[in-house]
Amino acid sequence: MEKPAPAAMITAKGLTRYYQLGENRITGIDAVDLEIAAGELVLLKGVSGSGKSTLLSLLAGLDRPSGGELKVGGRNLAHASGASLDDYRRHVVGMIFQAFNLMPTLTVLENVCLPGLLAGRSDAPVRSRAAELLAWLNLAHRLSHIPAQLSGGEMQRTAIARALINDPAVILADEPTGNLDSRNGAIVIDLLAELNRSSGKTIVIATHGSQADGAATRHIRLKDGKIQ
Amino acid sequence: MKRLAAAARLFWWFSIRNLRRHQRRTLAVVLGIALGAAVFTSVRLSINASVDAFGQSMDRIAGKADWTVVQPGGRVPEAWVARLLRHPAVESASPLMKTYVRPVSGPDAPFLLIGLDPLLDRPVREWSTGGAADASSQGAPDRAENPESGDALDLMTTPFTLIMGRRLSNTLDAGAGDSVVLFGPRGKVSFTVINVLEDAGLSRADGGRIAVTDIATLQEFTGGYGAVDQIDIRLRPGAPSDAVASLRALLPDGIQLARPNQAKETGLTMIRAYQLNLSVLSFVSLFVGMFLVYSLVALNAASRRGETAILRAVGASRRMVFALFLLEGAFFGIVGWVLAFPVSSAMVGLLVEGIGRTISTLFVRVSVDRLALDAWEVFLSFGVTLAVSVLAALEPAYEAMQVSPREAMASARSRHSVQRIARRLFAAGGLFVAAVWPLSRMPAVSGIPLPGYVATFTLFAGFSLMSPLFLGIISARLSPLLRRLAGEPAYLAGRYLRDSGVRVAVSVGSLITAVALFTALVIMIHSFRGTVDLWVHQTVSGDLFVTPRLGEINQHRSPFAPEIARALNGIDVPADRVPFRRFYLTYGGVPYQFEAIDFETFFRHGAYIWIDGDPVAARRKLAAGRGVIVSEVFANHTGLALGDTFRDLIDGHLVTVPIVGVIRDYRSQGGVAFFSLERYEAIRIEGGGSPDAPGWSGIRFFFREDETPDARAARVDRLKAAIVAQCGDRVDMIAGADLRQSILRVFDETFSITTVLLLIALAVAALGIATTLTVLVLERSRQLNTIYAVGGSRSQIRRMIIWEASLMVAAGELGGLLCGGILSLLLVFVVNRQSFGWTFIYQVDWGALVLSLPLIYITAMLAALPAVRRVFREPPAMILREG
Repeated sequence: MEKPAPAAMITAKGLTRYYQLGENRITGIDAVDLEIAAGELVLLKGVSGSGKSTLLSLLAGLDRPSGGELKVGGRNLAHASGASLDDYRRHVVGMIFQAFNLMPTLTVLENVCLPGLLAGRSDAPVRSRAAELLAWLNLAHRLSHIPAQLSGGEMQRTAIARALINDPAVILADEPTGNLDSRNGAIVIDLLAELNRSSGKTIVIATHGSQADGAATRHIRLKDGKIQ
Repeated sequence: MKRLAAAARLFWWFSIRNLRRHQRRTLAVVLGIALGAAVFTSVRLSINASVDAFGQSMDRIAGKADWTVVQPGGRVPEAWVARLLRHPAVESASPLMKTYVRPVSGPDAPFLLIGLDPLLDRPVREWSTGGAADASSQGAPDRAENPESGDALDLMTTPFTLIMGRRLSNTLDAGAGDSVVLFGPRGKVSFTVINVLEDAGLSRADGGRIAVTDIATLQEFTGGYGAVDQIDIRLRPGAPSDAVASLRALLPDGIQLARPNQAKETGLTMIRAYQLNLSVLSFVSLFVGMFLVYSLVALNAASRRGETAILRAVGASRRMVFALFLLEGAFFGIVGWVLAFPVSSAMVGLLVEGIGRTISTLFVRVSVDRLALDAWEVFLSFGVTLAVSVLAALEPAYEAMQVSPREAMASARSRHSVQRIARRLFAAGGLFVAAVWPLSRMPAVSGIPLPGYVATFTLFAGFSLMSPLFLGIISARLSPLLRRLAGEPAYLAGRYLRDSGVRVAVSVGSLITAVALFTALVIMIHSFRGTVDLWVHQTVSGDLFVTPRLGEINQHRSPFAPEIARALNGIDVPADRVPFRRFYLTYGGVPYQFEAIDFETFFRHGAYIWIDGDPVAARRKLAAGRGVIVSEVFANHTGLALGDTFRDLIDGHLVTVPIVGVIRDYRSQGGVAFFSLERYEAIRIEGGGSPDAPGWSGIRFFFREDETPDARAARVDRLKAAIVAQCGDRVDMIAGADLRQSILRVFDETFSITTVLLLIALAVAALGIATTLTVLVLERSRQLNTIYAVGGSRSQIRRMIIWEASLMVAAGELGGLLCGGILSLLLVFVVNRQSFGWTFIYQVDWGALVLSLPLIYITAMLAALPAVRRVFREPPAMILREG
């Protein structure tokens, strides 16, 4: 008996995003068709300006498409209201940034708890889960430190914990190793791969490097806003 | 509840922690708001204390009376007491007289001596000795059984006895059995104190500085035989509804049935404009503090765009971000308000006496004996401080909620949008400024110059909104010139400010507001003082002013006794005499003074400052008694103008004449109408008045004008000696030069509070400059250190910061001067006219402005010093390495 095809977690049809700057129209992505199944670890590859970050922003609900259709985890993002996008970012996706983007005034534990707090979850279970995640990421000794007291690798692992706190189905990472040395970069990629293997999370990584090549189930190459 | 706790935690994490990281700038803003709130609260508490003290004093004197019978400008014949008591609806009628007296020895301050019928007054007013005195020593056999009645009988049967208020008794250190010698309208008289009142009811009127005597004694003391100031009546319970109408019908022309609180309302009317204007002025510091809040919340919103984007990226909604920044403003308001409390208490102590003195001098006598912390005032102070702070945070919060979560991955907005915002704000500001003209043409609302105030704040708002583009244009235009004059640092400073947009302009806006206020008040006070100076030298002219003893404080209720008037008229000196009669009245509810004066003699030495009417034609009509001239205040408040008919009952005699001129007059107790004394006397005598008692309220003496000041002073001294020889201590005298000087001194003292409030507003603006510059330096430390790394010297970079400050202050002063010029016109011709009814001859005090603007510049530059010192606090290498 043939194994059933896994359900699509991400579906894009004719997805387009352009930016109007004065009289100039700059294309971010242009009529992208895409389908990513649940449990995949996909690498978005391409040179700087190819549209990787734009596509990731759309997948993360940080931006809205100029045209086309986009569904993630059953939610239609192309026509979602601001409030639905807020809810989407709280519950469906977790985001990891190249520059870590931790809140400088919050401790490591508080940074991780933040999305839980925004999602309206109770404090105690969120803290407990954050502590678990941080222990798993070897940051148990750093709970009360602020980001300025951490190394780059530690900051990115904190960001991974933050992305996982609400147990999202999809993890999106924008150049997660871009600001790290090769050893810490490898640790981060290993962690993402393990997450994909152990909990079946769908992971999309935008990168122009080759460090994550071995961990990916699929590569998607972008050039001038189009999938090649 | 869970959501609230989560919101509170988020606010703590996101906002409070950030404020804690930047303690100095947070402290500067909180202090600015605290200072503003403290000024607002303490000024209001102080002025309200005076107003309350006045109101309570009037209520205690009014007692439980339902109605009061009075004769405006005169006295009510005593016979009306019996007639009123016979009316079936009247339960009690109590005659009352009041006069201020001064003890010959001891403290110099006058006190209120109330004359009443101790028996008839019982149902009307609350006053009691409680039998506190050593009753057995007072003589009457029934005193031991009923000491209260004993005191009443003693007052009635023993002339020149009084019962003293407890507080007055303490002040004068006089008790039962002691004698006090008092100066009254008829000279010195010795009174015996028969007891001391309990500290309640009437005893607490006028701050407790009162004494009660029998009305017959007071009549003899003041010379007001057969007449009383008023008769207070109480109606029987269940009196028919037409009782008041039937009482009114009973009274002859000139005698009126008034509500007992009418005198209170008249007094409050006079204070109200002062109260309102001082309140508005006290709000200015808070208004300037608003810029501080705006400045810091806007800076936080701008410098934390990245963090805001992250917050949005991890799930915060736009509303949540908006609330966070709004709460930041609220936080400044709440903490500032809490800190304002101790500052307010210290300020109130200083202000309450000064404001009370000013009100007593200018409007009505007040004596503040306690300062109550009114719940409404506390709520108002909190509400206004919070509202101002939240309002200030509204725009930055709105800007912050526009931050897209995508910015977590992308760069911030372009310069194009900053310029566009500046242009949009400029257009909005232009509309605000344009609205000032139609607003200034609108009439006051219920006597409150609301359109004037709205125009004032519209003007401030307009100039503040225009400041970003204004700063940009000034910087852009000056940059090339600065490069030639002061080198690259000045050029870079100009370029930076040109592109800095709204954030820097907020501080410039606050400086514009403070400088505008300064400029406007300098011009207004100078114009006011210049006009008052002209007025006192032309209209309040004369070498010696003679009035009955304590005549002024007693509103000239008791004119000169006939023998004194004759004596003054008969003194053989080569001087012109200008007698006058003054009445304190109301015209359609507007308080004013009716002054009958010998115009013919007056015009030989003095003049009026005409606003409307032909002075030459008017003088002829005035001398013939065919017209009246009214002050601008009277005209503005009553709505009467040149050519209209003036019609009023003066001491029971009807005066109906056309208004032949409108003049400037700056007495603070309402308007004034001048009429011919000769004609008034004729009307009075036609109406049955005695031809032997001219009833002058005072007389001015004028010497020849060609004499030297010293020779005139010597003549005045000789005249004074002659008057003392003829009249003894029954008159008050003041040399014209001294009177004019004292008027100008009161003027200067009145505006000293204004000056203090203004300096505080300037200090708050300087705090704004210091905060903005420090934050700008901190924000750009990487950029500034890069300039250092590529070859700029420390001195060049510091000069650049100084030039930035310099340009900001220059733009603030220039904008402030422009805004202040318009504001001064608003204050002189709109707010003052609508508040007090007067305007002034507009004159700019160039000297003060030329002297002050460099001082403000230096102060603001000193405020910039901490920022300059911060530039190289961290090693450049460290800053450039950090990302």
